[in-house]
Amino acid sequence: MDQILNVLVFGLLLGGIYGLVSIGLNLIFGVVRIVNFAQGELVMFGMYGSYYAYAQFGMSPYVSVLVVAPLVGLLGVAIQRLVIQPLHNESNMQIFATFGLLMLFQNIMLAVSKGQALSIGGEVGANVLTVGDIRISVVRLVTLVATTLITIGLHLFLRHTMTGKSIRAVTQDKRAARVMGINVERTFLFTFGIGAALAGMAGALLTPIYSITPAVGGNFILAAFAVVVLGGLGSVWGAYIGGLIVGVVEAFAGYYIDPALKNAIWFIIFLVVLMVRPSGLLGQVGAEEVGFREQN
Amino acid sequence: MNKTEQPILKTSPAAGVAGATATGIESGNRALLKYLAGMALAFLPFVLLVEDAHWLNIIAFTYLMGGLAAAWNIIGGFGGQFSLGHGVFFGIGAYLAARLYVAYDLSPWITIIPCALFAALVAVLISWPTFRLRGPFFAIATLAFNEVAFVIANHFESVTGGPRGIMIPFKAGFANMIFRERWQYAVLMFVFLALVIGITVVLRRSRLGYYLLAVREDEDAARASGINVLSVKLQGMALSAGLTAVGGTLFAMYLRFIDPPTIFNLQEVGVKFALLSLIGGVGTVAGPLLGAALIIPFENFLRAELANALPGMNLAILGLLMVLAALFMKRGVVGAWRDLMLRLRPKKGGEK
Repeated sequence: MDQILNVLVFGLLLGGIYGLVSIGLNLIFGVVRIVNFAQGELVMFGMYGSYYAYAQFGMSPYVSVLVVAPLVGLLGVAIQRLVIQPLHNESNMQIFATFGLLMLFQNIMLAVSKGQALSIGGEVGANVLTVGDIRISVVRLVTLVATTLITIGLHLFLRHTMTGKSIRAVTQDKRAARVMGINVERTFLFTFGIGAALAGMAGALLTPIYSITPAVGGNFILAAFAVVVLGGLGSVWGAYIGGLIVGVVEAFAGYYIDPALKNAIWFIIFLVVLMVRPSGLLGQVGAEEVGFREQN
Repeated sequence: MNKTEQPILKTSPAAGVAGATATGIESGNRALLKYLAGMALAFLPFVLLVEDAHWLNIIAFTYLMGGLAAAWNIIGGFGGQFSLGHGVFFGIGAYLAARLYVAYDLSPWITIIPCALFAALVAVLISWPTFRLRGPFFAIATLAFNEVAFVIANHFESVTGGPRGIMIPFKAGFANMIFRERWQYAVLMFVFLALVIGITVVLRRSRLGYYLLAVREDEDAARASGINVLSVKLQGMALSAGLTAVGGTLFAMYLRFIDPPTIFNLQEVGVKFALLSLIGGVGTVAGPLLGAALIIPFENFLRAELANALPGMNLAILGLLMVLAALFMKRGVVGAWRDLMLRLRPKKGGEK
C-alpha cells in the first residue's frame, strides 16, 4: 500500500513538472494554435539562464526566474515576429521552421557548452520531506505548487482580463476579432511572448531538478504536446490534469512494468487519445479544428 | 503536348507541376528523356571522382539520402502528409535485414523486398488511424511513433541488440551486399536512387499520383469528387514506407553498425528526409535529389571543418537553413528555378 502511495505521490510530483513545461505550449499550441517544436529549447534556455545566474552571482533559481522568464519571453516575441508571423495559416511550414529553430538552439548551446552536463541540484535538490512513510522531494513539491498557481493565474487571465478575452477571440475567429477592433498581430505577438516566458519560467524552476544539457528540451517537447492534446486543446485545466495523468502513468509504468518502457507507454496512451478523441479529455469536441481553418 | 489546364495546382505554394511551364502535362517521352538526362547528370560526379575515396563516401551517401528523401516526398510532398516518423520504416529496413543476416545468415538481397513489404504493412497499420488527423496533429503523432520505435529498439535487446546495437561482421562479397570498394557501394546507392526517382516519375503521371495531389490540395474537394481519400493516402504511405525501408537496409549494410540513436535520430534521419525535400522542392520529382546534392556534401564539409572546434555547429547551421527555407523558399530550389523561368519567358495566354 505504501509502495503504491509512494509511486502515486512521485507520479503526481512528476506530473507537476510535465504540467509546468506544458503551460507555455498550452497557450501557444492549445490556445492560439501555433505549432512550436522549439518550445523545449525555450525551457532549456530558461535552465541555462538560471544556471548561469546561480554560478555567476549565486542567485537562487527562484529569484533569477524573475529575470530569466522575461528574457525568454522576449526571445519568444522575436521568434513570433520573424518566423511564425510570416507563416501563419501554414502549419506544415511552421513545423519545418520551428523544428529548424529546435536544431539551431540546441546545437548552438552544444557548441557553446561543449556538451558538458551542468547541475546545481546537489545543494537545493536534496531536501526531502517525510510524511509517514511517504518521501516528498521539496523542489518537486514547489514545482507542483507553482504549476497549480500558474494554472489558476492563466485561467483567470484568459477568462477575466480584456487581453485574455482578446486572445480567445483571435483563436476562435481572426476576422471577427479584427472587426471587433482587436489588433490580431499584436495579440499573437503578446501570446507567443507569454507562452515563451512561461517556458523560460518552467526552465528556471526545474534547474534544481534536472541536470542541464543542450538536449534537455527533448525530454519535454513530446511530453508537452502529449499533455496539451491529452488534456484538451485550449483547456487550461485540461493541460494541468493531462500533466498529472502523464506523470502518474509514467511513474506506475516505470515502477511496475519497466523503467525503460515508461515513455513508450504514455506515448501510446497519447496516440490513442489523439486518434479516438482528438479534442482531448476536457476539450470541446471539434475544438481541434478551430484555428487551423483557413482564415485571413 | 497535352494542354490540360490544372488550375488547382497553382494555388499551393508547394505545388509541383511536372513541366517547366505551368500550363500543361508533358508527354511520356519527354518525361523519360528528362529522367534519363537527370540520372546521367547525377551519375557524373561519381565518374569524375571515382578515384577519391573521401568524395566517393560523400557521393554514395548523397545518392542514398536523395533516394530516401524522394521516398518521403511521395507521401510528404505529393500527398501533403508531413510525416516526421519515417525513421520507423527506415529502422524496420535496417534492423530487420541486419538481424536476419547476422542471426540466420540470410543475404540482404533475399530479405530486402520482404523487409520493405513488412515496413509497408506496418505503415498501413499505424497510418490507418493516424490519417484521421490533419496538419500538425499528424506530424506530432508521427513524431511520437518515432519515439516509440526508439524506446522499443532500445528495450528489446534480444532482437535489436538494445543500446549496443547490431554489428555486421565484414565478410566482403556480392552475395552479402558487403563490398570491399567504396565505388561499389556508390553504384548500389545510385541504383536505389534511380529506382526511387523512376518510381516517382511514373507515379507523378499515374492515377494514384493525381489522386495524391488532389488530396493534398483539398481533401474535402477530393472526397467530394469521389476519391477514396484514406485509401489513396494509405497507398502513398505504403509505397513511401517500403522504399524507405529499402534505403534502411542499404544504410545498415553500408555502415555495418546500427543502434537506436543512429537509426531513430530525428535530426539526422526522420526529419532529414523532409528537410532535403524542402530545400530541393517539396512535391517535385527532382527536388529531393537536388536537396540531397546540395545539403549532404555541404553538411560533410561543415562537419569536417567545425565539429571539433564547435560540436553541433553543423546541425545548427542546418537548422538555420531549414528556418530560412521555410520562410523564403517554400518551394525549394525547383520552385525558385521555375519562378525564374516563368519570369524570363513571355507568358503564354492571357490569364496568369
